[in-house]
Amino acid sequence: MKRIRTFSDRALLLAFVAGVSTTLLLILVPVLDAVRLSLYQAESFISAQTWVGLANYTRILSDPTFWHAFGIGLLFAITTIAAQVVLGVLFALLLDQPFPGRPVVRGITVLPYLLPTVVVTVIFQWLLDGGLGLFTVWAEHIGLGRPAWFENPTSAMLILIVVSVWTWTPFVTVCFLAAMQTVPKSLYEAARVDGASAWMRFWHITIPMLAPMLTVTVLLRSIWMFNKFDVVWLLTKGGPLSATEHLPVLAYRRAFSQFDVGGGATVATLSFLVLTVLIAVYFHYFPLEEKEEKS
Amino acid sequence: MAEQDSSKALIPPSATTDTFSRRRVITTAATGAALMALGAPAVHAQTKTIRFLNAEPGRESVRALRVAAAEYEKQTGVKVVVDTVPPDDAYSKLQASLSSGTPYDIGTLAFAGHMLILAEAGKLVPMTKLIEKSKWGPRILFPVKGEHYWYPYDYNFCWMYYRKDLYQQKGLKVPTTFEQMAENCKALTEGGKFGVGHPLGANSATQWMSIGYLWADGLKMLDDNFKLLIDNADMKPRMIRYLDFMKKLQPSMPPGMTQALFGTVLAQYSGGQIAHAPYAGRLMEVLEDRAPDLAGKTGFFMYPDSAGKAQAVNHAADGWVLLNTPMRDEAYKFMEWFTERHYINFLHSAPLHFQPPRLDVYEDARWRAHPLIEKHAELVEFMRGILSSKDVIIRSIDTEGPRIDLRPGKMFETFAISEAIQNRLLKDMPAAEAVDIMAKKYRAVL
Repeated sequence: MKRIRTFSDRALLLAFVAGVSTTLLLILVPVLDAVRLSLYQAESFISAQTWVGLANYTRILSDPTFWHAFGIGLLFAITTIAAQVVLGVLFALLLDQPFPGRPVVRGITVLPYLLPTVVVTVIFQWLLDGGLGLFTVWAEHIGLGRPAWFENPTSAMLILIVVSVWTWTPFVTVCFLAAMQTVPKSLYEAARVDGASAWMRFWHITIPMLAPMLTVTVLLRSIWMFNKFDVVWLLTKGGPLSATEHLPVLAYRRAFSQFDVGGGATVATLSFLVLTVLIAVYFHYFPLEEKEEKS
Repeated sequence: MAEQDSSKALIPPSATTDTFSRRRVITTAATGAALMALGAPAVHAQTKTIRFLNAEPGRESVRALRVAAAEYEKQTGVKVVVDTVPPDDAYSKLQASLSSGTPYDIGTLAFAGHMLILAEAGKLVPMTKLIEKSKWGPRILFPVKGEHYWYPYDYNFCWMYYRKDLYQQKGLKVPTTFEQMAENCKALTEGGKFGVGHPLGANSATQWMSIGYLWADGLKMLDDNFKLLIDNADMKPRMIRYLDFMKKLQPSMPPGMTQALFGTVLAQYSGGQIAHAPYAGRLMEVLEDRAPDLAGKTGFFMYPDSAGKAQAVNHAADGWVLLNTPMRDEAYKFMEWFTERHYINFLHSAPLHFQPPRLDVYEDARWRAHPLIEKHAELVEFMRGILSSKDVIIRSIDTEGPRIDLRPGKMFETFAISEAIQNRLLKDMPAAEAVDIMAKKYRAVL
């Protein structure tokens, strides 16, 4: 075991301790407090709290609203992740090809990811406005009438998916594009000499070489999309008729609007547990292979 | 090496020698910090500070409060710090300030249920004596166990505005029944213009702007024991009539009304897109600002019922609360001074929108002298008539029941009535079924 001797070692240790302490303070403490709150009944954060044990869990788990929100969350997460990964890989492959103006196009591709979520949602709200929205007017011009985009449960969910995919696909593209630069060109050249088609080179070289990046990207996107609150809240607030109400929105509503802090904390805790189980299952099927340290 | 030497030459000799040693830096920093720590309480002790959480973010309202704060500090030496948040964030911000141990001394609330929670938790100071100095309009004071914990400044009634010029062109009359309202809206829907804009989403806007017809039709949600009434033999037909009426009104509304909020309706009416709009006095202020030609063409009426016998307005309320902090006595003194000297100035910051709940204000020459209040005397008399007429029904979901209670507040926050409207309009669900689903949701929170 290495001993801490130099100033650099001490600085690193200090940075590590500061990072862990901040994490504990800002993440672990609130999480533990949410778990504690889930065992109490309270109408607000300042009201008297009554110990109810696991009664909140029984109540929430027997409430069809919870399962509906869980299903909506899964649907939203799975569809957006699938679309983001497929499109992200596709765009990365295209951007890896040499063509004039490539650096500029690469820069533009990242733009949606750089926009603040509020800006993105306001843009889409305007585009889809029932009276003046550009898409609404176009739809009318081609004879589709004025679509009530947010009044139909299916179209409301589709809009959320499209907005999410539009915003976060660049993240996947950038990750894959970076990873693709690490694949030795000699592998492709050898495969080409052996007569491998473009598809075979992609399937047998690119995908295996990008597997660790794919695993991590899908994992990160899963966590972010399952917990995604801002886009849903800003665009639909879970409506219409709860058609887009997933677990984060349900937890927020219960805790901050419906005078049920314990219920909200329970939904949040259950959401956390569900996500943990899903990640464990994911790692079981797609383990991250650690590189062995060279001696 | 040469570069190193030249850079060193730029630094004063004193900084490069051991006079600028690590020990010296630490000693100096520690001394400074200690002096600051010792000095800080002394400064606090010299200046008393009241923290005021304002939830009226309009520029004029913020200015009115700041002017009052500056004048109060000049007179008394007590500093009043005004923080402003959007109305929807006020309660969360108050809770956060209490939980973090740095509570505001005065807060603004737009929901009587929140005041009740804070009062019952012992976080508020009663203002009963202050309240008893004035006469108040109906359904605006919400005493808790005989004490008054909030000082109202705005009624927030919601009624209907309409385009008088379009009515004249089409030969229409001000509606007194659901049927007439639907027919008028239908007649005014043509060429990309719509008859009316009622929000239809699961939100506060819908429950403030779209359900006044229900109150006019005599709906009561709760009895004197807070028992739900909406699906009994008397009330259910009223709910069904209302939902069927909204279904009939739907083709006269612009698309996308499930997304509509308060500002949407203001924009739709001031932009000439809709011929009827539900709102309070703010709409006239917006017209004066953005579309002054429409201000003179705009009339107003209360929500009609189904039979032409009654009319109603939906209401909300805004008020200030005093928090139980070490500065409570100073905050009380400030409120006493402010409500005496600056109440009208504050009301003037939204002259037609902030409808005075204090009855003496209507007779006060200072209040009446505001140009917009003078110009819109007819509207002001209409607003005042809501308070004085016994024929006008004033109700809201969150204040249903015999006294202020959290149960109707919980009903409000379920947005079950908004969902009933959506079920009827978007899913074409039979009204009776939509009422049953709504009643089930309400019972779950009662």
